[in-house]
Amino acid sequence: MINPTEVLQSFEGRMKDFIDGENFRKCIQCGICGGSCPFGFYTDFTPRRMITATRAELVNEIIESNAPWLCTSCNLCTSRCPSRIPITDALIPVLRELAMNYSHLPDELGQALTNIHRMGNSFGESNRKRAKWSEGLGFDVKILKKGEHVDYLFIVDDFGSFDLRAQEITRSVARLFKMLGIDFGILGERERSIGDHVRLAGEFGLFEEIARSNINEFRNYSFENIVTLDPHAYNSLKNEYRRYGFQSNVMHYTQILSERLQDLMKLMHPLNYTVTYHDPCYLGRKNGIYDEPRKIIESIPGIKFVEMYRNRENSYCCGGGGGGIWYDSYIRKFVKTRPAEERVIEAGKTGANVLLVSCPIDAIMFEDAVKVTGLEGRLRVMDISELILESIGKGV
Amino acid sequence: METRIGVYICHCGTNIAGKVNVDEVREYASHLKNVVVARNYMFMCSEPGQEMIIKDIKEYGLNRIVVAACTETLHGHTFREVAKKGGLNPYLVQMVSIREFDSWVTEDKVEATEKAKSLIRAGVYRVNYHTPVETTTYPVDSNVLIVGAGIAGITAALVLADAGKHVYLVERQGFIGGNMAKFDKTFPTLDCASCILTPKMSAVKNNPNITLFTYSEVEKIDGFVGNFDVTIRKKPRYVREDLCIGCLSCIENCVYKEPRFMSEFDEGIGKRKPVYVSFPQAIPLVPVIDPETCIQFRTGKCVQTCLKGCPTKAIDFSMKEEIVKVKVGAVIAATGFKVFDATRDTKYGFGRYPNIYTTIQMERMLNSAGPTGGEIRLQDGSIPKEVAIINCVGSRNENFNAYCSRVCCMIGLKHAHMLRDSIGANVTIFYTDIRANGKGYEEFYRKVMLEGVNFVRGEVASIIPSENNRLTIVFEDTLLSRVRKKDVDMVILNVGLEPHDDWEDVRKVLNLTCTKEGWLMEKHPKLAPVTSLSDGRFIAGAAQFPKDIPDTVAQAEAAAAEAMSLIDRGFVESEPNVIRIDEERCSGCRMCISVCPFSAITYNEEKNIAEVNTGLCKGCGACAAVCPSKAISQNNFTDEELYAEIMGVLRE
Ligand SMILES: Cc1cc2nc3c(=O)[nH]c(=O)nc-3n(C[C@H](O)[C@H](O)[C@H](O)COP(=O)(O)OP(=O)(O)OC[C@H]3O[C@@H](n4cnc5c(N)ncnc54)[C@H](O)[C@@H]3O)c2cc1C
Ligand code: SF4
Ligand code: SF4
Ligand code: SF4
Ligand code: SF4
Repeated sequence: MINPTEVLQSFEGRMKDFIDGENFRKCIQCGICGGSCPFGFYTDFTPRRMITATRAELVNEIIESNAPWLCTSCNLCTSRCPSRIPITDALIPVLRELAMNYSHLPDELGQALTNIHRMGNSFGESNRKRAKWSEGLGFDVKILKKGEHVDYLFIVDDFGSFDLRAQEITRSVARLFKMLGIDFGILGERERSIGDHVRLAGEFGLFEEIARSNINEFRNYSFENIVTLDPHAYNSLKNEYRRYGFQSNVMHYTQILSERLQDLMKLMHPLNYTVTYHDPCYLGRKNGIYDEPRKIIESIPGIKFVEMYRNRENSYCCGGGGGGIWYDSYIRKFVKTRPAEERVIEAGKTGANVLLVSCPIDAIMFEDAVKVTGLEGRLRVMDISELILESIGKGV
Repeated sequence: METRIGVYICHCGTNIAGKVNVDEVREYASHLKNVVVARNYMFMCSEPGQEMIIKDIKEYGLNRIVVAACTETLHGHTFREVAKKGGLNPYLVQMVSIREFDSWVTEDKVEATEKAKSLIRAGVYRVNYHTPVETTTYPVDSNVLIVGAGIAGITAALVLADAGKHVYLVERQGFIGGNMAKFDKTFPTLDCASCILTPKMSAVKNNPNITLFTYSEVEKIDGFVGNFDVTIRKKPRYVREDLCIGCLSCIENCVYKEPRFMSEFDEGIGKRKPVYVSFPQAIPLVPVIDPETCIQFRTGKCVQTCLKGCPTKAIDFSMKEEIVKVKVGAVIAATGFKVFDATRDTKYGFGRYPNIYTTIQMERMLNSAGPTGGEIRLQDGSIPKEVAIINCVGSRNENFNAYCSRVCCMIGLKHAHMLRDSIGANVTIFYTDIRANGKGYEEFYRKVMLEGVNFVRGEVASIIPSENNRLTIVFEDTLLSRVRKKDVDMVILNVGLEPHDDWEDVRKVLNLTCTKEGWLMEKHPKLAPVTSLSDGRFIAGAAQFPKDIPDTVAQAEAAAAEAMSLIDRGFVESEPNVIRIDEERCSGCRMCISVCPFSAITYNEEKNIAEVNTGLCKGCGACAAVCPSKAISQNNFTDEELYAEIMGVLRE
């Protein structure tokens, strides 16, 4: 039995630790969060109702429900909340933290967190395989040694390192960097999870540990910028690591490609595709990077670019964020149509034959959804880097 | 003459006496140098308190008074009047704040008492150096400038004109009436807006006491309360008001056979020609030619059928901007509002998806004299069956405007009623709270409920076009605790009210202050709601904050009364704290001129000295502080007075 008063007090106490955390008291119960939420139809408690429950002193009921875990950290609710309540960064993770204290969490999530804690990655793989994706590229990707200097330290994070589909994206980004003559290097077996999903999953202690140890590791090398494959890593390094004293300039690879567009355009050849683009939550809504990817797409010759209705800050979600990708089977128990399925159907309706993404998790989630929804053969899921490469490769 | 000071310590009920040991303080004050009498009393500002001071002045031959109580702003005037009644020059009084500066902000009673002693000591030291100050009076011009001719400006103008004051009414648009002129009906009584507004508009036109400047803006206001010099800029409308007879044949005859350009007055849902009037009953009924769209202005090569069709040849392409100068005693700002730009809240797809309108567009669509003749139609020409009204768009939202726009709940109810009434549509209002708090408003809300309008407590989170030209809206029905989807034919965004984009510029020209959002600031939110912080300038209507027509009109009448009270008093007293320039000391460096915010100082070349116009001087003291030759001294703030005061605070 969870003691309602005790858990309410812990909840209130924890919310105070976050910037604007106490704003939850200002909730006007408008329901914009619930209506915005990809899981709004399925959750036992929308964010609004969570707040109602805190007012009724029933936090215990939330943490015993599915609600803390039916959140993909898409940030739709937070970006629209008229009371500026940090739902995604505080309300949900705090409830998750409390739920974990009472051992209410999806099993697969527990496994992923244990893996990160023990192995330094969510896949439970040996870190020696971190740089495996770089084999067979036809050139060597520099693995930094202590004290060595590069312009760009390339942080791949877990999915780009270990997931087979995501590895293809890592390889195409590395190829493009090479073609552009960008001086970059990776940490290889010394790279560890960046941890944004850990933070959003409510494991704040583990996140801090990860962040501090990564920052220490970075100190061994000399670099001008960090460039990330994964928008979630970008977000953590750019916004969360600052709290622990990290200061380097952080970029997402689409930003670099958009800076070097003139050079890329010289290499590209026309492609005959109609494409649409999904703004990843952590690149777009969370960090305001909407124009760079579009600039790149529109410069690929022959491409017809169409927008989905929900684009830019209103973009939908692939459903994989905030740890969601680790406990898909838990989500399937409650959720009839997963966000990724809804999204690929929306993409299909635009008449596009390619759904472009710029986040490895998107590629994994959408490719699966394309199969489930019977869009296979009609809609291809590609990372922006892959389409550029195809456009370059065509004429060679 | 011997200095004889009386010190009066107020208890302010328990406000002061609850913290400060007033007996101890009185005892202390009575021993200060030159203090002849010291007293404490429950309410010093009350009649008996005042009488006590007057009696003491006579009995003890007092020639300086120190009142330790609230503040100079609150009761300085009261006690100066007391001194006057007792036969003293009013500026021989010094107020000491032991409430705001002491008892209200000090926790510890002993500390509060000690602080009261030192503040009073400072006042006593200072008052020794006070000298009598004489003020002069200036006559007040009886004309009034009113900026903005919406229902607020129109109402104030008519009240003043009826009282025989001359009004200069300046309207930025080509026609008067403001937002109200766009409406079909008005809540809660549903009387037709034109029926109540147009008679007032023509009364403005026909009243000899009102000079109307449309298509005009105030460029500059010089001078001071009672004596303002106003510069008005009249933009060229290319149709001469003195010749035009309002037949509108120019519009009829324009080479554009059909209206082709977006009509500002119709809020984007109607079209106009390059030569246009806002609506057929517009005042003044003199068209405006818009050079942006008129062929003559764009190419210089139009056949000018407008001019050919004009019986009085009133069209004049060579018209130039005109500058007019007028003198007034008072100014009323009634510049109104604009509606929230719904494209900013991107989740609603306004401007991107069809069949989404704002409430102000709906007003035009519902208006039988509007672009659709009052017909409610979807873009494909069909009649909407299912309509959603979304409340609080841009309001009560910290991402846009945090305040509640106050009138939109009622607007939504009005539109719901009218849509059911005219086309029998099924209407749902999505709300967070319904705010219907005026006379007859709650009753109207219930009437609309009874008529069968649906209410869903929950704001719409997103809108996406669906099959058959419909729109799918997603929302959390918060009373049902369920996220729902609904297909509708039309969405009405109940947009909030905002200050105009150029509020900052207008504020500067009119010398007013604004809230951080840009609403005009009143002198006191409760006790001086139509008085601004600058003398002789009053505010009215939605420019102060969103309000409905009844409140707007009430404020306009109040502002007119305030202006009249100033005019009918007939004089204003000059600022007592003006500066003096010592000719001997002035080196003619002109530093003072550069810092004076009121342009009160001029340079006399012949004598190589600066000279002050005490009518313009506001007593801010900026010049006194910068003068390197110590040639400037300020009444009631001389160096001696200030040093004595500082010494008083610092001495144990
Ligand atoms: C869609 C809608 C429906 C409404 N329906 C109702 C209703 O049914 N009943 C009701 O009671 N209230 C209603 N209201 C509220 C009503 O509109 C206001 O109460 C009223 O218009 C306020 O009048 P005003 O004169 O203060 O401002 P406005 O009507 O805005 O008039 C201000 C005037 O000043 C002019 N102006 C602005 N700046 C300058 C400048 N710098 N120089 C010169 N002129 C300037 C403007 O052009 C305008 O003509 C509604 C509001 C909206 C948005
Ligand atoms: S969007 Fe914000 S204010 Fe509205 S119900 Fe959700 S948490 Fe509360
Ligand atoms: S972040 Fe996204 S998934 Fe999580 S509660 Fe908010 S809207 Fe729902
Ligand atoms: S000049 Fe030509 S375009 Fe302009 S108003 Fe006259 S007829 Fe119309
Ligand atoms: S009046 Fe009603 S619709 Fe307008 S902001 Fe206030 S609560 Fe919202």
